[in-house]
Amino acid sequence: MTKKIFWSIMLAAGAVLAASLVVIMGCLYSYFSNIQGKQLQDELALAVAAVERNGKEYLEKVQPGQYRLTWVAGNGDVLYDTQSGGAGMENHADRQEIREALLNREGKSSRYSTTLLEKTLYYAQRLEDGSVLRISVSSVTVWVLVLGMIQPILIVITVALIISGILASRISHHIMEPLNSLDLERPLENDTYEEIAPLLNRINKQHRQIAMQMSELQRRSDEFAQITRGMTEGLVLLNEKNMIISINPAALKLFHAEESCKGKDFLIIERSPHVSHAIQDALSNGHSEIRIEREGKEYQIHVNRIESNGSVIGAVVLAFDITEAAYAERNRREFTANVSHELKTPLQSIMGSAELIENGLVKEEDMPRFVGHIRTEAERLVTLIEDIIRLSRLDEGNEMPFENVDLYEVAAEVTAGLNDAAAAANVKITLTGEKVNVKGVRRLLTETIFNLCDNAIKYNKDGGTVEVTVSRQEDHGVVTVKDSGIGISPEHQTRVFERFYRVDKSRSKESGGTGLGLSIVKHAVQYMNGKIDLHSTPGEGTDIQISFQENKIM
Amino acid sequence: MRSHFDEQLAMLNNELTQMGAMCEEAISVASKALTTGNVKLTDQVLSLDGEINHMERKIETLCLKLLLQQQPVAGDLRQISAALKMITDMERIGTQAADIAEIITFLDGRTGEECEYIRFMAEVAIQMVTESIDAFVKQDMVSADAAINRDDDVDHLFLQVKASLIKMIAERPTDGGYALDLLMIAKYFERIGDHAVNIAEWVVFSMTGVHKGEDL
Repeated sequence: MTKKIFWSIMLAAGAVLAASLVVIMGCLYSYFSNIQGKQLQDELALAVAAVERNGKEYLEKVQPGQYRLTWVAGNGDVLYDTQSGGAGMENHADRQEIREALLNREGKSSRYSTTLLEKTLYYAQRLEDGSVLRISVSSVTVWVLVLGMIQPILIVITVALIISGILASRISHHIMEPLNSLDLERPLENDTYEEIAPLLNRINKQHRQIAMQMSELQRRSDEFAQITRGMTEGLVLLNEKNMIISINPAALKLFHAEESCKGKDFLIIERSPHVSHAIQDALSNGHSEIRIEREGKEYQIHVNRIESNGSVIGAVVLAFDITEAAYAERNRREFTANVSHELKTPLQSIMGSAELIENGLVKEEDMPRFVGHIRTEAERLVTLIEDIIRLSRLDEGNEMPFENVDLYEVAAEVTAGLNDAAAAANVKITLTGEKVNVKGVRRLLTETIFNLCDNAIKYNKDGGTVEVTVSRQEDHGVVTVKDSGIGISPEHQTRVFERFYRVDKSRSKESGGTGLGLSIVKHAVQYMNGKIDLHSTPGEGTDIQISFQENKIM
Repeated sequence: MRSHFDEQLAMLNNELTQMGAMCEEAISVASKALTTGNVKLTDQVLSLDGEINHMERKIETLCLKLLLQQQPVAGDLRQISAALKMITDMERIGTQAADIAEIITFLDGRTGEECEYIRFMAEVAIQMVTESIDAFVKQDMVSADAAINRDDDVDHLFLQVKASLIKMIAERPTDGGYALDLLMIAKYFERIGDHAVNIAEWVVFSMTGVHKGEDL
């Protein structure tokens, strides 16, 4: 803009200068030629007077100089010429100035030389005797005048242009200075040309709008960041060129990446062909999902294409930790297989015995033994099914009302009930402790303690002991069942609570358990928000503790 | 013009990364096939090898096109020439993983558990390939150095494998063929380690312009 103003000023100055020069030159020229004409006329008048008096004599005395005097007779013949003497000159009757003088006493004309550089002015006057005296002078044309003055003109032009250049630059800077020093951050506080006030107002308005939009955007991105930061699922946003736009901390952890990976290619943090393939798949088909394993954990990765106005603008990668779900799924599969197996074994045995009886292969005296066998196997089946029903009830989490239960009382009932079984296995069962009230389901607690004690008796040594202790630890009611049995080796300790898990597969038959006892214990304790601790040393015994929050409000 | 060139360079990087990832996959599947005795996995290794070979051609074409059309200089030239060298090593890794897979099919499901060093070798070789590709992807000197330094481990493990296989043949001469197969597998793992070192060295070269261990 400064430049434009500068050039405008310069152009205007130049144009004005040129125009005034032209006008001045024109005026000067006409002024000079006017003066010249007048002088010529005066000279002529003097010469006429002299010629009238002295005739040719005068003319002969005139030195040929600037002026040239020609005396022409009335018929146009040249009588005398101060330059050439007049002899041999052609008839001048047809010359315009002569004709005019013959006609009107005075005449004038001007003729340009062929080069236009010279102009000859003629003035003629009729004398008393009818002849004509003509005076002529060669005068410079306007071009010669201009040429002659070119040096001063150029000097003037140069000086004028330099001055106007300096001025123009000063002026343009001066005009622009307030505009350049505008404070656009606070448009309304500027004190400048009123012409730009509407613009400043507009800028101010837009400033406010932008600020509002910015804070709105900031709020939204904060919101988004807050949400994604808290997510346990890994979330990565990619653009259509596979570049990372956004990545949350969970994903950073999963892919071992750093915050700086934003804006880089996703391949940099995860280059496994499966994942790349899944992303490509999602970009072309809209959705894909795969499972990957990372550091012993299993992740399910969903990739979804993002579209806007019908064109693909990126993809969302969502990674779920499905380790537990996968584990549960595996457990369920194992459970189904185990259940079928456990149900089938007694039935096979029943069928075998029944077939033998049917075919009459059983002797009369053996009959009670076979029928008894069928009964015990059927009994086992019933127990098993009852256990499964119990477990599935716990699984479904059907509401069972909590009540105030005295752990000692329950333990006493259970140990009393198991006295016979303990005696049969030659195991001594003892109960010590104090009254502790907890909030729980009496039936579940009975079952839990029963199962623990039952196991302690079953997996005991001949002449072993089972010590049941009810105690209060801090604000928890604790039941400890300690046996002197065969113990559980460390690799089995974590798995004994699984359904149908047996430490010694060959013992299932002789001990008569269903393999669900500890699983029921675990679920029941979980249902009542309790805790189980298992300590065991193989060959020395097992120590299982269950603890529940004490109920102090009676 | 330059931005088009940059795009092509980025594409080259991506494809190299993908090829590297395929190599990692090939060797880890091969090692899994060995340790689990799952012969079905070997097919996967062979098809990966095919893909790796295809990728090598593709990257080679791209590199030559870049050299011809863009006439790169300085860092760009180093990057492209290093890429040309790296794909050769990656292709060898893929082929050697396929060779391992082929030998596994002759093992009749035996898993080489008699010689635990061979498993260590597989682990170290996988680690080295991962580190060298990491070094390339992240332009990380530390990973490159780690891969280069691990080469001694593999060489040392190879000697241990050899010693234990000699002992095995001496104890059970009937397992001679099996022991030789294992020795070949170990040798392939050792070679894979060498190629991983080469890749890491090329990464260092493309970053610094100096070959490792070579003074100016």
